[in-house]
Amino acid sequence: MTRYVESTITFPYRRSLGPVLGAFMTALTQRRILGARSGDEVLVPPMEWDPASGAELSGEMVEVGPAGTVESWTWVGSPTVQHPLDRPFAFAFIRLDGATTPLLHAVDVGSPDRMRVGQRVAPRWKPQRIGHITDIACFVPGEEPTVDGEEPTEADGPAADVAGPVAMMDYVASITYRNPVPPAADRAIAASREQRLLGLRCPICERVYVGGRGYCPIDAIELGPDTEIDLPHRGTITNFVVVTPVQYPGQTETEPFARVFVLLDGYDVVLGYQPVIDLPVDDIHVGLRVAAVWASPAEVGDSDGGGMGQSLGSLIGWMPSGEPDIDDPDLVNRIF
Amino acid sequence: MATSRDIAVIGWAQTPMVRQTDLTETQMLMRVISDALTPLGLTRADVDFTCLGSCDYITGQAFSFVSNLDAIGAWPPKRDSHVEMDGAWALYEAWLRLHEGDIEIAVVTGSGRSSTGDPALIYPMEMDPFFLAPLGVDPLTFAALQARAVIAAGIADEQSMAEVAIRARGSGDLAVLLASDYVRAPLRRHDLPPITDGAAAMVLATGARARALVARPAYITGFDHRSECHNPSFRRLDDSPSTRIAAAAAGLGERAVEVAELQAAFTHEEMLLRHVLGLGAGVTVNASGGALRANPIMATGLCRVGHAADHIFGGGSRSLAHSTSGPCLQQNLVCILEDRP
Repeated sequence: MTRYVESTITFPYRRSLGPVLGAFMTALTQRRILGARSGDEVLVPPMEWDPASGAELSGEMVEVGPAGTVESWTWVGSPTVQHPLDRPFAFAFIRLDGATTPLLHAVDVGSPDRMRVGQRVAPRWKPQRIGHITDIACFVPGEEPTVDGEEPTEADGPAADVAGPVAMMDYVASITYRNPVPPAADRAIAASREQRLLGLRCPICERVYVGGRGYCPIDAIELGPDTEIDLPHRGTITNFVVVTPVQYPGQTETEPFARVFVLLDGYDVVLGYQPVIDLPVDDIHVGLRVAAVWASPAEVGDSDGGGMGQSLGSLIGWMPSGEPDIDDPDLVNRIF
Repeated sequence: MATSRDIAVIGWAQTPMVRQTDLTETQMLMRVISDALTPLGLTRADVDFTCLGSCDYITGQAFSFVSNLDAIGAWPPKRDSHVEMDGAWALYEAWLRLHEGDIEIAVVTGSGRSSTGDPALIYPMEMDPFFLAPLGVDPLTFAALQARAVIAAGIADEQSMAEVAIRARGSGDLAVLLASDYVRAPLRRHDLPPITDGAAAMVLATGARARALVARPAYITGFDHRSECHNPSFRRLDDSPSTRIAAAAAGLGERAVEVAELQAAFTHEEMLLRHVLGLGAGVTVNASGGALRANPIMATGLCRVGHAADHIFGGGSRSLAHSTSGPCLQQNLVCILEDRP
């Protein structure tokens, strides 16, 4: 039975808007909608270039709407978490008054029976606007724009924190993926629980691979259980890097830390990007002899350990073995 | 560009097309590349160039194509490339590369595990990042809006769309299908593609080598792809000018094709494409069942070329394969295959 792992990946993008889209987003904070003039046409959403020819437009912006006419629509009966409304709604092409192209946005009417082509709709603004297409919470039937949760008043201006032009926008998507774990990776992790470092030896070229990589990329064959061998727990540091952590989302390290490359004794195998234990960053050097450090069963938990895609399970790092250094000027070249 | 008409598809293979496979993309490719090469008497050592089509967003892993390289055979060294596109575009790149004249054999693949996540959440990330992605506009919404336009133009109606579904899947009762609820009006469940995991691999060879390896190479005599504006707000959705231009450039007008394999994931897309390409009743369209039967994203288009090549291998003289990418048929590729260069 193949094991599956679920992982939720967040894609936090911050994008620069440029002069045309920036003007559009800035206007949204003021509850105005702008189009881009292209000859006799007014493009909404605005573009910097002509959609057909690619010719650069003048950058002239024209205020449109705020009301418009539904040109086409479809009913979304089961909204996703990414949709602008959490109840059934219509996605519609809305041609705002004064525009020559339709804007795709949500219409909140409660039922598909109340949607029709030709329907007049107006924006329902969010009370706090940041310069983002979702500053328009949705469109609703009628001619007059409204503000979500309150009656419209002339005093209602842009949000205080976006008094100036909007130059950037954030976009965040969070996606949960479910992927199978290759059997070779699971066997490597299981072996690590017994404090064994499992290798897979290609029957054709005899190269040895670690970390549950179940293929020989040289010969392009899958490596099954019959190719497994036990690898030694000692090796030599060939190269290393000291990382000063940047506090990106998910980074747990706060102080500079090392990752080392370990050439195993007697095998042409380098374990890349390994953590070190009981070894200060300043003491790390090429040629240092190290021994594997294994998590005790109590420490194992659910972690598969490893880094950079290598599933090394209970192998949590390497510590000095106390043996004399290896003096070999070629060692430093071994990172693969 | 002056093109050589002496480049041919000489074989291809596809994995079983399933709702969910336990195999990784790399494992699928490992097997399907062997399945494509072995019947030709070739090994990976004979391959001069590889181009792989896949998509990191579907896998949920940055640089996922790097692990797929394990499947191509790194020794002896070969020239390699990747497209974040359907394998049909990998085929296009390989075809261009073979025009250089210094190599003879190329392998292209398309691979994807669509079962990894919810397409309604993954695909909005690939849309316009300012106006569409932030609203989570999903593939079904785009397809439904295009279907409305195609129906309004008189190119399709809900009954003819259901008939496409019945023909593609070889089953279904028209009255029952039309009585079912809309998933996203005017689309019902039968108008939608399945979610499919799968991969395909194809082998190309230049003239003399192709003829030495197989009795009937499927020569690529025309190949073109064109793109429209990324945002459907600016396009006529009842037309596909990029398909029309690509087909003309590929030489569709020179002589009738007997078979067409169209990458139409939705029933109305097949009807629109038939209309735009001017395919008459005498043309057999999507005898394979097309994307309505199996839709391995990133391999679906390459499979269309494979089925069109099968027509030539089996004695046919001219066939067309089409692939598409982006919302509402944004980008379209047309490949013409013939029995002689």
